[in-house]
Amino acid sequence: MGRTITFLQALNEAMTEEMRRDPKVFVLGEDVRISPFGQTAGLVKEFGPDRVLNTPIAESAITGVAMGVAMYGYRPILEIMFCDFAMLAMDQLCNQLGQWRYVTGNQYSIPITIRTNVGGGVRAGYGHSQCLESQFIQAPGLILVEPSTPYDAKGLLKSAIRSNDPVIFFEHKRLILGGISGEVPEEDYTIPFGEAAVCRSGKDATVVALGFMVHEALGAAQDLFAEGINVEVVDLRTIVPLDKAAIFKSVEKTGRLITVEEGRIRGGIGAEIAAMACGEYFDLLDAPVQRVAAPMVPIAGSPILEDMYLPNKDSIIQAVKRTL
Amino acid sequence: MELPNEKLIEVYKKMLLVRTMEEKWAQLLAGGKIHLHAHLGTGQEAVSIGVTAPLSKDDILFGTHRGVGEYIGKGMRPRDIWAEYLGKRTGLCKGKGTLHLADRTQNIPGLVASLGSDFPIAVGTALASKMQNKNCVTMYFVGEGTCNQSDAHPSMCMAALWQLPIVFAVCTNQFCEMSYMSEHCPTEDIAPRAAGYGIPYEIVDGQDIETTYKATEKAVKHARDGKGPYLVEYKTFRMGAHFIGERAEYVKREDLEKWAKRDPIDLCRKKLLEKKVITSAQDNKLWAEVREEVDMAVETALSDPDPTTEDFITDIYEQKGVL
Repeated sequence: MGRTITFLQALNEAMTEEMRRDPKVFVLGEDVRISPFGQTAGLVKEFGPDRVLNTPIAESAITGVAMGVAMYGYRPILEIMFCDFAMLAMDQLCNQLGQWRYVTGNQYSIPITIRTNVGGGVRAGYGHSQCLESQFIQAPGLILVEPSTPYDAKGLLKSAIRSNDPVIFFEHKRLILGGISGEVPEEDYTIPFGEAAVCRSGKDATVVALGFMVHEALGAAQDLFAEGINVEVVDLRTIVPLDKAAIFKSVEKTGRLITVEEGRIRGGIGAEIAAMACGEYFDLLDAPVQRVAAPMVPIAGSPILEDMYLPNKDSIIQAVKRTL
Repeated sequence: MELPNEKLIEVYKKMLLVRTMEEKWAQLLAGGKIHLHAHLGTGQEAVSIGVTAPLSKDDILFGTHRGVGEYIGKGMRPRDIWAEYLGKRTGLCKGKGTLHLADRTQNIPGLVASLGSDFPIAVGTALASKMQNKNCVTMYFVGEGTCNQSDAHPSMCMAALWQLPIVFAVCTNQFCEMSYMSEHCPTEDIAPRAAGYGIPYEIVDGQDIETTYKATEKAVKHARDGKGPYLVEYKTFRMGAHFIGERAEYVKREDLEKWAKRDPIDLCRKKLLEKKVITSAQDNKLWAEVREEVDMAVETALSDPDPTTEDFITDIYEQKGVL
């Protein structure tokens, strides 16, 4: 340990090291040689244009190309610049990628990593700011990952690249652009999928969050602590597979569950976790499950309207208090 | 455009096998032994065999939902096809793909359900071949109706941009599901679209096996030699419905009569008889042998084991237990 890097550097390091380690790993996507946000910056210099492939603007087709090349021995890392644009590739993502292993009777693996940025708060407005992770939870065969720290970003991205199943890796803009830093070891490491992290221990309520919302949840926990309320914060890290055991263990201790996501509330990840809790350990709950999420409203360009849309520390504090 | 006698008899036998397989499929459906939708390619055998017979085992094939012809042409075994069509655990995809056949041993990666979604996937497999410096070609075999899918265009664009070893083979059978081509396509030909991406193309008669074989051979050589993609359009006619059970009342009688006169199997047989490669008696024997082979394959597959509850929840992720 002893080295502090940014979230962005962690992503870049993970890709650089994996490309050095395995010649079958390569990057493709729109403008990945230049890299508008910087995740793939510099890769073309070290690995050349054949391993850092700029593509046309065609999200569905480039996802299909990545799938085809993955079937025949490569480990493509496809960047879909904005998760909003991944909606153009829903057929490839949900109908083909995740289901191919099953419908071919395990003849083909699709070892592909799709990196895409999510989230608002950077005033990017309509079509560039959504958190659409829950769009994918209905699709079997996909692994869904969303880190909140540089340490997790690097370890989970390495696991994604080495995975023989297709992974969608969500990177929140406020973690990339906000320059969030953290300690990351020099040596190689990976983080397994399906293991949540308890990033703050508490006894009064369990707040389950992911991505940038983990930081809002930690802020809320700090404020609540000043009021004498001790909140436990669980960072999911992966949405699929979901660490049901970690959530259960925490709720067993606190008796209260609050889910936090930046995506919209209807059919969201919180809905899934709340249903699971009510179906599997209702008797542990001392209060109704509370969901913090965005409303069923598009994202406006006006900063004032965007702020009304985004869940934050205050909405989490209110939700926690509703359970006490 | 003549094939050597031994090649001609080889493709003739394959065409017989395709027609016999499809006839058997119709019988099984009528007898209630199979429940799968059946999309037959009767009348298109010279295209499906002509497109696949010049391929090597390492070449990659994407076929169509009317695909028994090309799968047989590429080397899939009747017995494996039946086991999959019948949903048996011994099938190529353990009964999980059924109509969507995949056979890794023959480099047939599978069939998508949404027509045309495999356009870019095929470009991806061609990209893999190029990156590996492997001397193999991806054959993307597709119907003319599917060429209207949006992914068709960026796929051809990338294939040309990166000069990938891929052949786009368009089987223009005059129908897009239950409509005439004229209702879904503003031009008579699909092939000139390739010119928009700088891809060379050719339009050929799809009824004559020698023509389809030679045109494919030329296109495959072009791609294999590193000259980039090639598109061939084969003009043929679907002598039946979109699927068995569909009444196909929209198909004009005069069209059926016109195209029946140029049945690809009849045309090929005529050549073989004229060249004295086979006699009538030998031809009858060939049919009988093929029918017996298909019957045997069906019999074996019918008695194969069904999938189990264990099969139901495996093969979703590499590791078990992730759901």
